Amino acid sequence: MSRVVVTGIGVVSAIGNDVASNHAQLKRCESGIGKAKHFTSKYVDSLNFAEVKLSNEELKTKLNLTGKKGISRTALLAILAFKEAIHQAGLSQEEIKSYRTGFISSSTVGGMCNTDELYADANLKGTPSEYVGAYGGGEHTLRIIEQFGIKGFTSTINTACSSSANAIMLGSRLIKSGRLDRVIVGGADSLAKYTVNGFNALMILSSNPCKPFDNQRDGLTLGEGAGYLVLERADLSEDKEHLAEVLGYGNANDAFHPSATSDEAFGPCLAMERALESAQITSSQVDYINAHGTGTPNNDVTEMFAFHKTFGTIPPYNSTKSYTGHTLAASGAIESIFSILSMQSNELYPSLNCVDPISTYNTTPIQSLTEADLNIVMSNSFGFGGNCTSVIFSKAARCL
Amino acid sequence: MFITDLKAISPQLTYNAEFLGGEKTSHEDTVYHVIEPDYMEFIPKGLLRRMGKAVRMGVGAGLPLVKKHADLDGVIIGTANGGLEDCIKFLNQIVEYDEGTLTPTNFVQSTPNAVAGQLALMGENRGYNITYTNGGTSFENALLDALLLFEEGTNKKLLIGGIEEISDYNYNIDSLSHKYKKEIVKDTELIDSTTPGTVCGEGAALFVVENNADSYLAQIKDVAQITYPNEEDITQCLIEMLNRHDLKLTDIDSVMLGYNGDIDHNSWYEYIENALLVHSNSYSFKNLIGDYRTCTSFATWLATHMLNGETSFNKHIARRVSNTDAPKNILIYNHFDTVRHGFILMTK
Repeated sequence: MSRVVVTGIGVVSAIGNDVASNHAQLKRCESGIGKAKHFTSKYVDSLNFAEVKLSNEELKTKLNLTGKKGISRTALLAILAFKEAIHQAGLSQEEIKSYRTGFISSSTVGGMCNTDELYADANLKGTPSEYVGAYGGGEHTLRIIEQFGIKGFTSTINTACSSSANAIMLGSRLIKSGRLDRVIVGGADSLAKYTVNGFNALMILSSNPCKPFDNQRDGLTLGEGAGYLVLERADLSEDKEHLAEVLGYGNANDAFHPSATSDEAFGPCLAMERALESAQITSSQVDYINAHGTGTPNNDVTEMFAFHKTFGTIPPYNSTKSYTGHTLAASGAIESIFSILSMQSNELYPSLNCVDPISTYNTTPIQSLTEADLNIVMSNSFGFGGNCTSVIFSKAARCL
Repeated sequence: MFITDLKAISPQLTYNAEFLGGEKTSHEDTVYHVIEPDYMEFIPKGLLRRMGKAVRMGVGAGLPLVKKHADLDGVIIGTANGGLEDCIKFLNQIVEYDEGTLTPTNFVQSTPNAVAGQLALMGENRGYNITYTNGGTSFENALLDALLLFEEGTNKKLLIGGIEEISDYNYNIDSLSHKYKKEIVKDTELIDSTTPGTVCGEGAALFVVENNADSYLAQIKDVAQITYPNEEDITQCLIEMLNRHDLKLTDIDSVMLGYNGDIDHNSWYEYIENALLVHSNSYSFKNLIGDYRTCTSFATWLATHMLNGETSFNKHIARRVSNTDAPKNILIYNHFDTVRHGFILMTK
């Protein structure tokens, strides 16, 4: 069966508009969480957000889309990260348009980030807005398909916060099955009144920057961003740098509650176990875990329990949501990219804001920037609806 | 992949299969609402009250299957919009209460993965679980995933389905894009309508599929999809799929086409029907259920029954029937708004 490798990555988040700037800020151990400048909501004054530092107009200028109507912020973020990923992978026009090339994206809020326009259009108030055809979760996918002329298999996934982890999983499986030679996978979500008010109603937003794995943690911080990875069949991409290999993945449902994880962490444990099994490795071979680590009281304690149960001796772990906030559907892809950066540069980035760590298992998240020989890394994503997915990457066997 | 059980809630009496007994429900409106069963028989009242329509229909069709088949390995759902009514209800609260203190029920119910999540929860199913939200090919995405899981050998039996609800809001939004007819057309005259626009439908069709089965209702051989194609692309897409199974165009004895009464959508169906599959019997299905983004799940429900020898509803859907032999290879072809196109290949 073909091996699947990563040949390109693209990311935009609160800590940078491209991979290099995200990497630089991770190395500086600086969070992107703060006061939002571009997002409009009643909660902008009282809550912290992890906002991408570009306005919609600036994004459009960067993307040569100035004057184009009806493109949501979600789509703009997606296009920016998508372009960086295909550029790094050096995909030609012919390759992008080939039937053997797929595109799998994901989003939770999609075009609903234009909350006020959607309200007006859905209730037939005033003239139709420019976004009237662009509210669906799959609209940003369509926008990219159209702009880049993608003819092969395309898909959009919404499993809440594990969406883009599932995009990585599906893309890898399509290559392994022989149906595709390469596939661009990932996800995008922008800050939206919809999600801010939803999470606020569930009382899981912190008024402070999130504190994953801290005993005093009191909720998550919403972020925004996009991340895409170009996955290719290893034997068909031998002329380019392999950034990592997709070694395994596991998907499970916690089957406990629509918006909380079970105390026994059934879903997280099964997702990690299935990922280890599909990677054909033992838990002791995992050198680092990029945790889901939202900073909610429920997630972090159940995830720690799942680590304990799966690993016994828990490997180094952090939550990079302390830098980027929770980017929802994009988080699986963004955090996979960060895991790959860690592995490529043999660096472990500290989990921020954890001063009084959960001590049940005599372990703490990574406390400072450290060097480590990393060969196998795991990225976790758990979502509402019980949707849990873990992805495992290994250092590429062949680097240029 | 073998279909061994199925359940549909649709604008026809499909839930208890009266439709198969020859009972057709007529529609003369721009919306075709589903006929819902009495959910109270199997969904607790308190839970039912909180469910939005998409979740209610999905759980209503799926839960009896989940309960009957305790050995399901996972759940795969395609739904372009999920619980849109709850979504806009929540949105209305946000705007009307100026982001005040809101209740989260509508928010939790509105996420498209709520159906698959709820089915996992109620069926205590911790297996593979995913939701596709890829507009007009969301159900086709779900089918491909199931085919892959069976090929990989990790799963043996899955629940898959397509679900979409009508809400006033999505009707309004799609109306602003001129999706629906301005005039009222009878369902019997819908397909031959000569005006733009279609009618809005909804439904939930769920299937138990297995990678191996001695007794089964029908098989799904393959699925293919393409976005923004031209005629050459769509021909290649279909022929490549058939080639994978050593089939030729002439092996397709029956084709179910997504004609929706929109004069601006017909040319694609006419091309498949008259240029590529002129030898095949052809059928419509949207005159029974209206148009929605995951309507091919209902077409799959119909085709399953056709392959299983059911002929009672043929008169409602027949367009061109020259061959009266039992169907062997049925092709379902549909596009939504001429953008996303999908093929489903079924056989006995």
